[in-house]
Amino acid sequence: MRRIGLILAAAMAFAVPASAALKVDVNQANIQPLPIAIPDFVAANPADTAVGENIAKVVSADLDRSGLFKPLDPKSFVEKIANIDSIPNFGSWRVITAQGLVTGQAVTQPDGRLRVDFRLWDVYGESQMTGKQYFTQPNNWRYVAHMISDAIYERITGEKGYFNTRIVFISESGPALARKKLLAVIDQDGANPLFLTTGSYIVLTPRFNPTAQMIAYMSYIGGKPRVYLFDLESGRQEKLGDFPNMTFSPRFSPDGNKVAMSLEKGGNSDVYVMDLRTRTSQRLTFDPGIDTAPSFSPDGRQITFESDRGGTQQVYIMNADGSNQHRISFGDGRYGTPVWSPRGDLIAFTKQHSGTFSIGVMHADGSGERILTNGWADEGPTWAPNGRVLMFTRGVRGGRGSHIWSVDITGRNERRVATPGDASDPAWSPLIQ
Amino acid sequence: MHGLGLPASLALHCAIVASFLFTWSHTLDIVDATPVVPVDLVTLADKTNVAPMTTEPPKPEEEQTPDAVEPQQKPPQPEEVAPAFDKTPIPKPPPKAQEKPKEKFDINNIMALLDKKKPAKTAEKGRNGPQTVKGIGAQDAMTADLRSLLQSQIYKCWSPPVGSPRPDQLTVEFQLYLRLDGTIAQPPKLTATGISSGDPFMRAAVEAARRAIYTCAPYRLPVERYGQWQSVIFVFDPRDMF
Repeated sequence: MRRIGLILAAAMAFAVPASAALKVDVNQANIQPLPIAIPDFVAANPADTAVGENIAKVVSADLDRSGLFKPLDPKSFVEKIANIDSIPNFGSWRVITAQGLVTGQAVTQPDGRLRVDFRLWDVYGESQMTGKQYFTQPNNWRYVAHMISDAIYERITGEKGYFNTRIVFISESGPALARKKLLAVIDQDGANPLFLTTGSYIVLTPRFNPTAQMIAYMSYIGGKPRVYLFDLESGRQEKLGDFPNMTFSPRFSPDGNKVAMSLEKGGNSDVYVMDLRTRTSQRLTFDPGIDTAPSFSPDGRQITFESDRGGTQQVYIMNADGSNQHRISFGDGRYGTPVWSPRGDLIAFTKQHSGTFSIGVMHADGSGERILTNGWADEGPTWAPNGRVLMFTRGVRGGRGSHIWSVDITGRNERRVATPGDASDPAWSPLIQ
Repeated sequence: MHGLGLPASLALHCAIVASFLFTWSHTLDIVDATPVVPVDLVTLADKTNVAPMTTEPPKPEEEQTPDAVEPQQKPPQPEEVAPAFDKTPIPKPPPKAQEKPKEKFDINNIMALLDKKKPAKTAEKGRNGPQTVKGIGAQDAMTADLRSLLQSQIYKCWSPPVGSPRPDQLTVEFQLYLRLDGTIAQPPKLTATGISSGDPFMRAAVEAARRAIYTCAPYRLPVERYGQWQSVIFVFDPRDMF
């Protein structure tokens, strides 16, 4: 009998399983925004009710604007969140097709500060994905809402968010022959507009420094075009050096210690870099063509710029010391205003071709060019700090003003940015922590 | 008229009989003709993708011996058996070539019985049933339709994070077990990732794949083939998404 047992065991060892796993390759997708439920944040007392509702609204609007989330209509919610410390009834959120759930509360502390807690839940995984707590002054509730949006965005997509950021731009008003141009700042969602200049002189090409506290821009104060620095905290502005000729297109280095810009002399413009600590400048290009619009790589080792030295306007790259200058754009048409992505993987540009201006991206070696927008007059791209979204100026046909638009680097989710009146020349700030 | 009537009647009868004979023989020819059989011409693949079913008996194991692979020039000679005690040859009747000693069935000796190889005898005794033998190729044609069914369902549910800097590295492999009604029997098991699952992009890709698996359930698949799809491995590859 023992031998029979051995035989049976041997037979079972060599037996083929009833069924092996069926392997299925999944290489097509249905790119859709993630359905997410964001109920009003719970208020500990009636005075906090409005804050709780407003935070939920701002978070919902942020995520909706990204194009990657679809906030669900609160009217469809089955469960009412009364306590964020208890586990939600996930089944009632699955019923309304929610895949993510945000619960939170806003409480005014005895010391007058506002405490805001939130949790992000995976409805199908039935687990908490992240949760954070913030303390702030009550009037900063909007920034806390943006920080919550950033935390949710980062947890779901794997990328840093960009909601707690600001945009500096040129606000335009008045007739074409007497156009008034103001230096203005808004939150990325269009809230809190702030005008920094009075309009008594023209301002152009504003750019944030890496701390988002300083803006470099070009101004015609006294009739002479110069690059100025504006300190947002103190409101103080100063001229960046005293060059005999026109300076323009300033842009900070990633460490904030240098500014790259163009300096025009005798009809020839070249790229210069100024050290803000020593106020000494270094010339980087020496050819007779027009070299302008410099932009540092995120590691500060290289600079991309535009030049017509080859006969047409094209995008070039050089080392930060001016060596190894070489062209990277070779497609049809003209390329300008290159801006290096904060992520380092792409360079955005304006392309002129067949009478239209478009926004596109390419790799730093010039490969993989993709045109993202097909407006009539799109130009001047600027990157969100996560390198995922671009803003740009879109001119209205017939020269009737311009607006600021945003687009995802996939070319999806084109949206107009809410600015007070006409706007141009946007520059995105770093993420405000 | 009476003199002509008889010969005329005979001639007429003979003509009628002859005409019948001719007609019958012609009809028989038609019946014997080969019937027309409709034939569809199909093209067989050079390499079949399905494990073939064969009714042929397995080849005798002797053919797989080294002797069969390398045929000898001469037929093997019978061994000479030397007598043990008597050197004087005594003529003996030649042993019967096919004669075998009778064996008693012994349950304790079953291993020895099983060890004996008698393929020829097996073939003689009866016809073997169909046996699955190894075919050529991936042998996945029988499940290709199931794959397509699953793909068409999961495609609609999968929305991976697009625009990440390294999409070619963000592959995710999940194994799941399904019930007969297509619902998920137990939480899907993460079996492989392109890079470390601690990477934030990888983690987002894993969670997107898991959401796709859950939101697509229950899966609509043919119940009678449950054995082929009760265990499924989804390999999510976002490299072409942008």
